[in-house]
This record gives sequence, C-alpha cells and structure tokens, in this order.
Amino acid sequence: MRTSRAGFHREIGSLEEIFGFLEDFAKSAGVDEGTALVIDLVVEELFTNMVRHNEGGGDRIAVELERSGDQLRIELVDFNVEDFDPSSVPQPPLTAGIEDRRPGGLGLHLVRSMVDDLHFEYEPQARQMRVWATKRLET
Amino acid sequence: MLEIVSGDGKVHLRGRFDAAEVDRARGVFDGIADSCVVDFSGLSYISSAGLGLLFATQKRLVDAGKALTLVNLNPHIREIFHIAGFDKIFEIS
Repeated sequence: MRTSRAGFHREIGSLEEIFGFLEDFAKSAGVDEGTALVIDLVVEELFTNMVRHNEGGGDRIAVELERSGDQLRIELVDFNVEDFDPSSVPQPPLTAGIEDRRPGGLGLHLVRSMVDDLHFEYEPQARQMRVWATKRLET
Repeated sequence: MLEIVSGDGKVHLRGRFDAAEVDRARGVFDGIADSCVVDFSGLSYISSAGLGLLFATQKRLVDAGKALTLVNLNPHIREIFHIAGFDKIFEIS
C-alpha cells in the first residue's frame, strides 16, 4: 500500500504545488501516465470547486491519495465549510449544440466519468466536507 | 505551465491548460476575432477550466459566423472532449 497526504492553501495558485505532489505519488505508486492524468484532473476539479464554492472555509484543503493493489483512492477534505449538495449541480446538456450549452457543471461531470465511485460526506459538527473517489487500475 | 504561440491564423498550445493558466490564456483567446486553427500537438493536459475558455471563445466566434478548428489532440484530451460533449461543438481533425 502507498499513501500520500498533504495540505494546500485555498487558492487556485496552489495547483502547481499540487501537481508536483501528485506526480511524486504517481511515480512512487507505480501509476501509469494515463492514470496520472486522470488523478490530476480529478484533484484539480474537486480542489477548484472547493476553492470557489466554499469561500470563507479553512486556510487549507487536505489531499490524500492511496494505492492498494489495483485500487486507487483519491480524497479531499475541506474544513470549516457549509454543507453543499453536489447532486444539486445539474449535468450539462451533453448532446446539445453550442446555442443550448452553458459552461457550468462540466468539472463534476468529468470527474464522475473518469472514476468508478464518487462520494460526498458532510460532517456538521466538525463542519468538514469530505469527497472521495475510487478507481480500479488496469494491471 | 502553458505556452501559447499565435500568428498566421493559428494558435499553438504547449504544456498544461489548467485553472491556474486560464486568466493568462484569456488574454490571447479574447483577442481572436476570426476563424482560427488551434493546434493541440504540444498539449498534454486540459481541465474544465481550459474547456470553459475554449467554449466561450467558440460561442463568441460562432455568433459572428466564424469558428475554431482543433487539430492534433492526443487520445487523453480527445476523450475529455468526447466526455464533455465538445466533439459536437468543435470541428476536431
């Protein structure tokens, strides 16, 4: 099993540091290049959602990655935030032409499409939002 | 890091098109006023932030009777476009 965990400042400018962290994990966990790009995408989309929608939250957002056999787990935890129901975000109209499309909602749709499971859990007493995704790796 | 080189009706993208790069890239894409080829051959990664800027540019151009054409997408980025339904919004070759 390989696990990496770190906290990052709540700002879009943290992405460069985050990608470095993800690259180190991918190398040490023996993850292939295609899966590494999926990890980058999942973490970027979830992280930027937290930065944009949880204004006033804690200074840091925690990112944890774990590989156990052919299972990959990606988890982000946001602190001191209000509850938010991601299922309330409508799926974009994927078959629509450009005149009927709007830019929103795409990030969560991409994440859902690229992992096997995606879960959101809010702990009201701790005011923590935990999001985790799992993906089975091809071996 | 994203590198953008534009000229002669073409825009070449190189590197990674993520949320941290969008504000800088917006300065280039907002300046596109005519139909244009966007060459993805040097691009390894794109997220919804990059897709959103391309979408806004395409919408503005299509409203003016013009369009972006995207070329040389790697398989990973092509899949992202397919999942997003953007293969119906852009001409991709």
